[in-house]
Amino acid sequence: MLQGDPIVHDVHHASLLPLFRGMPELDPEKCPDGCKECQEVCPTGAIQLNPLRINLGLCVFCPICEQQCPEQAIHFTEEYHLTCSSPDQLVVDGTKPRLTPEIASETIRKYFGRSLKLRQISAGGCNGCELELNALSNVNFDMGRFGIEFVASPRHADGIVITGPLPKAMAEAIDLCYEAVPSPKLIFLFGACAISGGIFKDSPELNREFLSKYHIDLFIPGCPPHPLTFITGLLDWLNRK
Amino acid sequence: MNSLTVQNHQPFAIADIPILSIQEFGESVREALLTHARLIGLFGMEPTGPSTTVLAVLANPSTSSLHILGTRFTSANPHYRSFADVHHQTHYFECELAEQYHIIPDGHPWLRPVRKQTVLLDNQPYTMYKMEGEEVHEVAVGPIHAGVIEPGHFRFQCHGELVYHLEINLGYQHRGIETLMLNASGNQQSILCESIAGDTTIGHTMAYTLAVEALSHSTASLRTQVLRSIAEELERIAMHLAGLGGIANDVGYAIGAASYGRLRTIIINSSALLCGSRFGRGFIVPGGLRFDPTDDALKILGQNVQTVRHDIQIVNTVMFDATSVLGRLDHTGIVTAVWAKSIGMVGPAARASGLDLDTRSQFPYGAYRYTHLPLITLSSEDVFARARIRSLEIDESIRFILDQLENLPSGPVHHEMKPVQNDAGVVSLIEGWRGEIAHCAFTNAEGKWKRYKIKDPSFHNWYGLALALRSEAISDFPLCNKSFDLSYAGHDL
Repeated sequence: MLQGDPIVHDVHHASLLPLFRGMPELDPEKCPDGCKECQEVCPTGAIQLNPLRINLGLCVFCPICEQQCPEQAIHFTEEYHLTCSSPDQLVVDGTKPRLTPEIASETIRKYFGRSLKLRQISAGGCNGCELELNALSNVNFDMGRFGIEFVASPRHADGIVITGPLPKAMAEAIDLCYEAVPSPKLIFLFGACAISGGIFKDSPELNREFLSKYHIDLFIPGCPPHPLTFITGLLDWLNRK
Repeated sequence: MNSLTVQNHQPFAIADIPILSIQEFGESVREALLTHARLIGLFGMEPTGPSTTVLAVLANPSTSSLHILGTRFTSANPHYRSFADVHHQTHYFECELAEQYHIIPDGHPWLRPVRKQTVLLDNQPYTMYKMEGEEVHEVAVGPIHAGVIEPGHFRFQCHGELVYHLEINLGYQHRGIETLMLNASGNQQSILCESIAGDTTIGHTMAYTLAVEALSHSTASLRTQVLRSIAEELERIAMHLAGLGGIANDVGYAIGAASYGRLRTIIINSSALLCGSRFGRGFIVPGGLRFDPTDDALKILGQNVQTVRHDIQIVNTVMFDATSVLGRLDHTGIVTAVWAKSIGMVGPAARASGLDLDTRSQFPYGAYRYTHLPLITLSSEDVFARARIRSLEIDESIRFILDQLENLPSGPVHHEMKPVQNDAGVVSLIEGWRGEIAHCAFTNAEGKWKRYKIKDPSFHNWYGLALALRSEAISDFPLCNKSFDLSYAGHDL
């Protein structure tokens, strides 16, 4: 019924719309001495200076710094490969065109390389991230073709995908859910809120202790991240072509 | 009735709000509720202390007027006579006031937590309603659900498959947005409002932006207003498509789910044409728009909308003609017009129960003051009506967008913002895709926020869902839930 061919065949080389804000291109050479314009306007404190760097774990990919910078030293490109495997990688200085995670260990690739089932936990997610994760199963992205799927029960899952800044009221539920996933198990953080608290990072209503207890396998930056950022990140991590 | 009467987005001095005795306040609110006004806000103005000023905000759609009145409570006597035993629509507002300010509605039929799950009035334990009897059983679901959705707890009291009572316990998503708004920078406020409910980014950002612009006595250019409304209608179409896809999915109608999903992608990518974000993030801001779309972008947007207009007719016909689909939708999850009105339901869910409620025509703002969208209602009060109305509203939104694109005003998309008026307030009503969004904003003597009160349409409609489940099979819960398509984050803030 009129479906045509809506699928993104080559997930690594999709062309997004020109205004899409992905990997920032930075030109610290242009920064005049003492200029703090971008840092001052950034709503989440994602920008560091001397030299200019952006923490993509905090960045909500709003257009404010790019539009306010008097020297055009910041430009968000269409590059959507932003998934990484360590918090250090999240701080970008403009020298890398894209982010790719370190390839997962042989054990992980052996267990999950061809079939990966995930349980999503929304912990204060505003439904932006949730909608993009749902979109992964639609006819455009069809993540199932790579053997990656969301499942209903944590007992059937190989890992969890957390969205949202982790409010206090969700702390117990997250613990219980993670406990129910059989080992070895993975944790992915999807979106600025999950990675850093994002715009809510200073809220007294959060309890982010869970994240300090375990190793985080993947960080997927964005507000919300593009579905392709998730798919390509996972495929790169699992070393799948 | 003794109150300050204003219009939507009309700023006023806080000092002009009449502060009445608790008894006069009660009488005035009752009088307003009897003349078909709807309560849209009942909240304290200060952090809890020895004395709290409480404001009631009522909206009367038949006169397009808003009524604001206040009273003062002291910690020595934090009591008033509840309205909720007669006017059920005030029930949840009274619970919220009790939870946040410890102000107690005497004679309230069902005082329960709004965002604190197990605690009532600071320290009293709250236990959920429980039915007892032979073969009676209880089903607990959540906070984490089976799908990729937000968390909330549902407790069903059942006899066999039949649900007698559903209690909905929320608050798991509470991020403290109203408090964060008070000390946030302007840029932070915009992002916070974009994140109240990420599926209603445009709706809540519009409510915030129009509140700030009203308080600064500045008016957006015509081009800005029209482009904002186009973004608002794109959001409505996108989420109605998501809802229809969800309903198709919940009745096991895969081709419908896939088709509506595909069309939604075209629409959200059209939002991205305007501002780079599929959810309209970063587009609307006090003082105009952050992006002025090029003619080329608008042309593609128009083509996209035309494609959806063409394809959706076919999908709708197939879906709404399928007896297997209709068999599940018809007569399922009925909320009668009487119930819907009494609990203060809003948005498409209310219109599907036959209520004439639409902020765009009753409290018009922005471009809706110049171009009217028809107010559509259906009378069958069931899941079918809540699904069908969304497809009808998509048709109207598409017509609106194409009309606007044909005669899009030229001009700037920025306008000068003056400082906001001090010690002033404004009520900002917007018709989000789920229904009426209300932002009540008040400034202090320094022009900072004194109080920023946000009401998402979900705040009213969760009770609609609970009522829809009465005497339904528990297996129809997902379907009923999807037909309301409510926000957890918007409720929990």
